[in-house]
Amino acid sequence: MNVIETTALGKRYRGKWALHDCMLAIPGNHLVALVGPNGAGKSTLLNLAVGLAQPTAGTVTVLGGAPAGSPDALDRIAFVAQDAPLYKNLPAGAMLGVARNLNRRWDQRRAEDRLAQLEIPLKQRVGTLSGGQKAQLALTIALARRPSLLVLDEPFSALDPVARDDFLASVTGAARDEGVSVVLSSHVLAELERVATYLVVLGHGEVKVAGPVSELIAAEGAGLEEITLRHLRAGRAGSPRSSASARTEGR
Amino acid sequence: MGAHAVTAPTGRVPGPRPVPWRNLAWVTLRQQRGLFTGLGMFLGLFAAYLVVMAVIQGSAYAAVAACHPASVVRCQVLRQSFVSRYWGGDSSVLQSGGAQTVSSLMFGVPVLLGAFAGAPLLSRELDSGTFRFAWTQGAGRTRWALSTLLVPALAATAATGAFTALFYWYLRPFLALGQVSEMLPLTFALLGVAFAAWTLLAYALAAFLGTLLRRTVPAMVITLVVYIVLAMQTATVIRPHYAAPVTVPSASAAAASSGWVISMFAKSATGQELSQQSLFAAFQQQAPASVQNSGHPGAFQAWLTQHGYTQWTTLQPDSRFWEFQLIEGAWLTALSAALLGATIWLVRRRGA
Repeated sequence: MNVIETTALGKRYRGKWALHDCMLAIPGNHLVALVGPNGAGKSTLLNLAVGLAQPTAGTVTVLGGAPAGSPDALDRIAFVAQDAPLYKNLPAGAMLGVARNLNRRWDQRRAEDRLAQLEIPLKQRVGTLSGGQKAQLALTIALARRPSLLVLDEPFSALDPVARDDFLASVTGAARDEGVSVVLSSHVLAELERVATYLVVLGHGEVKVAGPVSELIAAEGAGLEEITLRHLRAGRAGSPRSSASARTEGR
Repeated sequence: MGAHAVTAPTGRVPGPRPVPWRNLAWVTLRQQRGLFTGLGMFLGLFAAYLVVMAVIQGSAYAAVAACHPASVVRCQVLRQSFVSRYWGGDSSVLQSGGAQTVSSLMFGVPVLLGAFAGAPLLSRELDSGTFRFAWTQGAGRTRWALSTLLVPALAATAATGAFTALFYWYLRPFLALGQVSEMLPLTFALLGVAFAAWTLLAYALAAFLGTLLRRTVPAMVITLVVYIVLAMQTATVIRPHYAAPVTVPSASAAAASSGWVISMFAKSATGQELSQQSLFAAFQQQAPASVQNSGHPGAFQAWLTQHGYTQWTTLQPDSRFWEFQLIEGAWLTALSAALLGATIWLVRRRGA
């Protein structure tokens, strides 16, 4: 079962293609690292996959053929957007209540146990949590939904190194213990190198390379960081500034 | 938009049972608890003031109502002092502090209530990015948006409906004394179903603009401006056309009874219509100086009758109150429903 499958998927914002002719078939039971420079189309691809955005061209299905954004897909995919948006004015416990009432599947016990483990009081307002705690609360809510697929958009961007490590440990733990497929986007590969089992490299709205990490390493004889850079540079061959601009070009 | 169909595509197993409305309503109530508390307190304080004033003026009114026969000077004086004290003087509306001032202030309540409740509902989600959380939960964005929009709408309609009943009770002495007609622009929008319907319109407009602009404050400001223009146009231009006004002789009992006077005019002996101004001009031109300078109050009327002039009043009688209320309530509700529908449509087509 492919967790995300796209055919000729494209998304245009104001006349510019943020994602173009994207062909992907990401198999299940992987921890997928979706990497690429800022503006490469990572968020666009994830937004299309979770049904927040509608494609301009092509199709995207999830979890073995469900249309992205369909009730079935929404039910089985947990998404944590960039900066983990949650209701700042609510206490953590009420935030759990909101998520519980917005979902059919919900494991309240598990959510409360996790918050106790993380030492996040149920009465503390979300707005007063640290960046790491907030990300963990968002992850707690996502996991309490017992998803088949967990999608995380730039989960590390606002976290300090310790919080990053804790967060990643939580994610890999869930992936290992419960068989949750994870798709995680990041513009830095360093943290993911140890844990990712599937790699998708995006550059300028196009898929540069995609495949299981073990196969890519065997085929290319290099580490993930090296593979990523190689493919990002290859797309802009002929331009001496290509590598620098691929990494720094804004959205 | 096909990829975002709410029902499961045909030929596939039906989707999971949707999240119950009860749960969605809980979410809306919990999220908007601050809003409900704040607006509830505002309406509650206003209501408490009306109750206190109604009780105080009620005992004074009992004396006026008990005075018989009403035409004797003693009763007239009693009535006059009651009105000037509790209704307020004609000139200084905002200084008088009576029911006239309260009625004027009441005009602002629907738009304030509506703008404060409606504008932030979705604009705050869109502005802060929390829509990415809300719209990716199992309930789906359409059901979520319906609950988010309709729960406060129902609460606001119920609260303002109850408030209208209270205001009616407060205003009853002045309606009974004929001090003010239910049909007058000053009171019409505060009574019947109009008060709740105008609140609903302001709310729907603010929610729509908040979703369209994704900003709370601009949505509130535009709501205020559009609302004021529409309310004024309704009172002066639209409402008189709900039914053709009645034209009666100004001297008749029908004209003397309570109602909303649209215009007054005169007819000459040849049947030509004249405005009040041209009638007076004709009097000044044609009447002899002895009549014009006569100190007798009936001289003007006598001269008009003698020369075949008749005076007419065009009005909307009080008996049409509920008919007009239902017409206004119906089109305001239809417009509000259209705005809420457009808001849902914006939510459904909005990308990330």
